[in-house]
Amino acid sequence: MANVSVQQDRIAKAPLRWRELWLKEDWWAIWLGLGIVVVAYAFFAHGGSIRWIAVTPAKWSTWSQLGSHFADNYARYVAQFLVWLAIFTVALTVLGHRARDFVPSFAFLYFLSVAIFAIGQWDKANTYNLEPPLVALVVGMVLSNLIGLPRWLDAGFRVEFYVKTGIVLLGATLPFTLVIWAGPVAILQASIVSIVTFLVIYWVAIALGLDKRPAATLGAGGAVCGVSAAIAIAGAVGAKKEDASIAITVVIIWAIAIIFVLPFAAAYFHLPAGVGGAWIGTSEFADAAGFAAAQTYGDLAGHGAVAGTGDQAIFAYTLIKVVGRDVWIGIWAFVLAIIATTRWERGVPGSNPSAAEVWWRFPKFVIGFVLASLLITAVTSGLSLADYNKIAVPALVGPIKDLRTWAFIFCFLSIGLTTRFGELASAGKRPFIAFSAGAVVNVIVGFLLSAIVFAAHWENLAR
Amino acid sequence: MDHERRHVAPKCRHCRYFRNDAAYLEHSFPGLTGMSSGYGSTRSDDGICVRHDRYLRADASCAEFLSRDLAVVSSPLTAPIPE
Repeated sequence: MANVSVQQDRIAKAPLRWRELWLKEDWWAIWLGLGIVVVAYAFFAHGGSIRWIAVTPAKWSTWSQLGSHFADNYARYVAQFLVWLAIFTVALTVLGHRARDFVPSFAFLYFLSVAIFAIGQWDKANTYNLEPPLVALVVGMVLSNLIGLPRWLDAGFRVEFYVKTGIVLLGATLPFTLVIWAGPVAILQASIVSIVTFLVIYWVAIALGLDKRPAATLGAGGAVCGVSAAIAIAGAVGAKKEDASIAITVVIIWAIAIIFVLPFAAAYFHLPAGVGGAWIGTSEFADAAGFAAAQTYGDLAGHGAVAGTGDQAIFAYTLIKVVGRDVWIGIWAFVLAIIATTRWERGVPGSNPSAAEVWWRFPKFVIGFVLASLLITAVTSGLSLADYNKIAVPALVGPIKDLRTWAFIFCFLSIGLTTRFGELASAGKRPFIAFSAGAVVNVIVGFLLSAIVFAAHWENLAR
Repeated sequence: MDHERRHVAPKCRHCRYFRNDAAYLEHSFPGLTGMSSGYGSTRSDDGICVRHDRYLRADASCAEFLSRDLAVVSSPLTAPIPE
């Protein structure tokens, strides 16, 4: 049962306001992510590097090579584990989680992540499509759905926290000039698809006889940022609790399916990495799921299966999904709250929303993403391209990128470990049909915009 | 029966029927932690009204508001609300 204090529950609750800085995981993702970036820069500025702690499994082809790697570097892995454990434990304890549950759970997660990372470094991994994000998902889902894990272990499977921390670290590896150059197109493309998708889901839901509130909740889940958007809009319009649960189920089903389908569909069409990443950014529903798909496509590019680089897929995805879609959730919530309050069925608890809602619902981790990008761009701006690649990449940007990869693997594994299909609310035929109609349109329009209209833009991203 | 009543705005956040603890929400919405979180900014301080079985903004209100801030010796109004 949730660890809720009934006594605390009886005291009038003031808005969080500035207490958000330590009571929302978005801000902790910023503190941890930016903290890592600042420490990395401090080392770099003094001629050093955090490379030692940012250890990753090396490429291998024989078991003895893999064994030698771990034997030679076990101290680095232990140190890295302890650093991750320390910073995550502090953050999650302040957020209200129990350290005695989180510590063993994260140990389990880290051990499994090392194994999955190592699998991805096998020189035959690409041959068998053993991309780490997909392996992590499948392993996680098998463990949680077929074998079963004690519920207290969920304490360490914090999907959103890991992906937000990873996104902040990603900012440090993405030049701010790229955000400026590609941002407007990302916003335009994402806005077109978001509005079209919302309207399709909403009107199909209404045509099927669903109420306006669940229709809007489903629409937001498909159009903006998945489960987080569904929950945000459900609250904004005052949906029934069961409608929010149904929206969560439908989004999860589609998001999981897209992870496995879209990367291979993009490969089938021989889409360059940046174009594939943009398509995934437009058509995947949740950030965490989208990064799994984008990382998979990036890995395909890294192995030469598609043109372009892994970074192009990740950057394109991030620009579309985070800059083009996520940041607008507050506006969606504000507008829909006004519509629900003034034009929909009365008698549902509500009130006119404040415009401040746009800020309070803003996904704050994006601030960390931007700040990390600005910081690293600023401190490396004096370097020539040759020096950037020779000096900054191995000593500064590279280690941060590797730590980002770790955070994403924690996230992908956690998705699988927390997705228990038997516990999801029954989706219901009508909500599923409405959402599916929007999802299909979303995928088609996303493909048209990514692979045709703006193809040259995404293909040349970060070249 | 003594009642100590403090004036609070009749909004859901101050209502006895309103639950917006993040852990409670994660428990109440199966699958929420799979691709989201009760601790994220986008949730703001929304919560569940156990009276109307709705998911609402904390600054929403209705005619059935019942202040959680009542401190009473005994009253049927303070019986724990089934969750």
